[in-house]
Amino acid sequence: MGLLQSPHWPFLIDVYFFLGGLAGGAFVIATVASILNARRHREVVRVGYYVALAALIPCPLILIVDLGVPSRFLNMLMRFNVDSPMSMGAWALLGFSVCAFLAALFTLLEDLGRARDLARVKLVVGVIGAGFGFFLAAYPGVLLGATARPLWIESRSLGALFLAVGASTGAATIALILIAMGRRAADQVAGVRAMTVLALIIQIAALAVFVGSVQSSGSAASTSALRLLTDGRFAAVFWGGAIAVGSVLPLVLGLVALKKRSFGLTALTSLLVLIGGFLVKYVIMAAGQV
Amino acid sequence: MARTLAMFTDTSLCIGCRACQVACKQWNELGAEVPDWTGTYQNHTHFTDKTFRLVRFIEEPGGKPNGDLAWLLMSDVCKHCADAGCLNACPTGAIYRTEHGTVHINQDVCNGCRYCVSACPFGVVSFNEQTGTASKCSFCNDRIHNGLGPACAKACPTESIQFGFRDELVARAQQRVEALKTMGFKNAQLYGADSRGFLGGLNAFFLLLSRPSVYGLPESPKLPQKNIVMDSLLSVGSALLVGIGALVAFRGRGGKEQ
Repeated sequence: MGLLQSPHWPFLIDVYFFLGGLAGGAFVIATVASILNARRHREVVRVGYYVALAALIPCPLILIVDLGVPSRFLNMLMRFNVDSPMSMGAWALLGFSVCAFLAALFTLLEDLGRARDLARVKLVVGVIGAGFGFFLAAYPGVLLGATARPLWIESRSLGALFLAVGASTGAATIALILIAMGRRAADQVAGVRAMTVLALIIQIAALAVFVGSVQSSGSAASTSALRLLTDGRFAAVFWGGAIAVGSVLPLVLGLVALKKRSFGLTALTSLLVLIGGFLVKYVIMAAGQV
Repeated sequence: MARTLAMFTDTSLCIGCRACQVACKQWNELGAEVPDWTGTYQNHTHFTDKTFRLVRFIEEPGGKPNGDLAWLLMSDVCKHCADAGCLNACPTGAIYRTEHGTVHINQDVCNGCRYCVSACPFGVVSFNEQTGTASKCSFCNDRIHNGLGPACAKACPTESIQFGFRDELVARAQQRVEALKTMGFKNAQLYGADSRGFLGGLNAFFLLLSRPSVYGLPESPKLPQKNIVMDSLLSVGSALLVGIGALVAFRGRGGKEQ
């Protein structure tokens, strides 16, 4: 299998996968919080929708710049190809962009006091956008699984993993901003603090399934590609960065923070989650394209 | 669809002259490669945006019927798979199947996302930095639509590369395998001739004198898109867990009832 070619997607695509997942995760969290109790979780919903739009804005630009012929970016929307996660992802990005823009716009109008009963339409946009948000967070993993690259082709949980990373990084970003907002939002941190911990558990489980499915695939090319991660030149980033410092440590700290209701510990946890979430995606992209 | 066209590369007849490689470059106006010292006759090892036909020179110890070292030659090319990973992966529709069953990249539509490069089980599709698009063997799309065979098949002096209707070529290939087996080439086998086999059969199929892996070919290549259903189901499961997690996290936690 030494004759396969690599797409050589650059570092910027890792950044896109990170930001797209974060945007989708933050949006989903804002929507769930607003469904449960929009007034009680007001700051979570506000910050969530603003974060989703802010993280989303660079995404289409990154994708267009990366194309071999950027002026043909609209060709992505000439075809609706269910066999191609990239095609479906392009459509999901479009759908999510509309929802993220509207949700942030409605939030802004409410903030400015210009909104006259936008709650219902905002909820509709939130629910539709959450569907797109899930898709945007997960599809890059499914996209990688549908290639011939040895590390990715035998992995079954990359979509699930990327979605969980989107949720954990989305929750962590909202938590950091709420903490930075100080007393005004202090009573709202608890929800995202718990969310971060739950998403981290799913993230670690999906990482285990990823390693397990490649390891047990029986494909020599795939297991040797996996060794690049587990004891090759990416081992330090994988075990030390993505797993220990980026997933397990914040899970432990997050549980402690949950018990002690500590803002400082939650801020540290959130920072580690962001670093870890990026490293998970970076190291899988880098090791898969060698 | 018209009757499926195919190329049959009989590696037992290949003499390694690379006339196919040169004819391909001439017809398709492809540039030269920088020579690559590999320690064998293999001069540059991969398909590139400038090499759509590539002769492989393989030494297999004990590969000959009498136990001597076998020097295997194989003119490799895009397989024009019946179930093509590159074609499925293409988000723009630039990669399409012609009425002859071949797989072609429309250079005016491709926007250079490189997903097809990663989706080819054979490492055929290559990215062209100059044009910013994906490139590969077109089965000489212009020639076959004007009643000519592919340039490589035309140039081959030993009929190692044969062009014709797929069903006829498969029948001929099967006879050739039997003949080689009676001559003592016990590992002689067809690769990709069976349309019920992997990837729905290859429209450029091969007769090999040894196992596919000896030639660097995957023994049973998998269509990458077969994974989409399972991966998506697990993603939905993950989404459900995240959704339930969010409900648990925000239910009765944080904020004050106003």
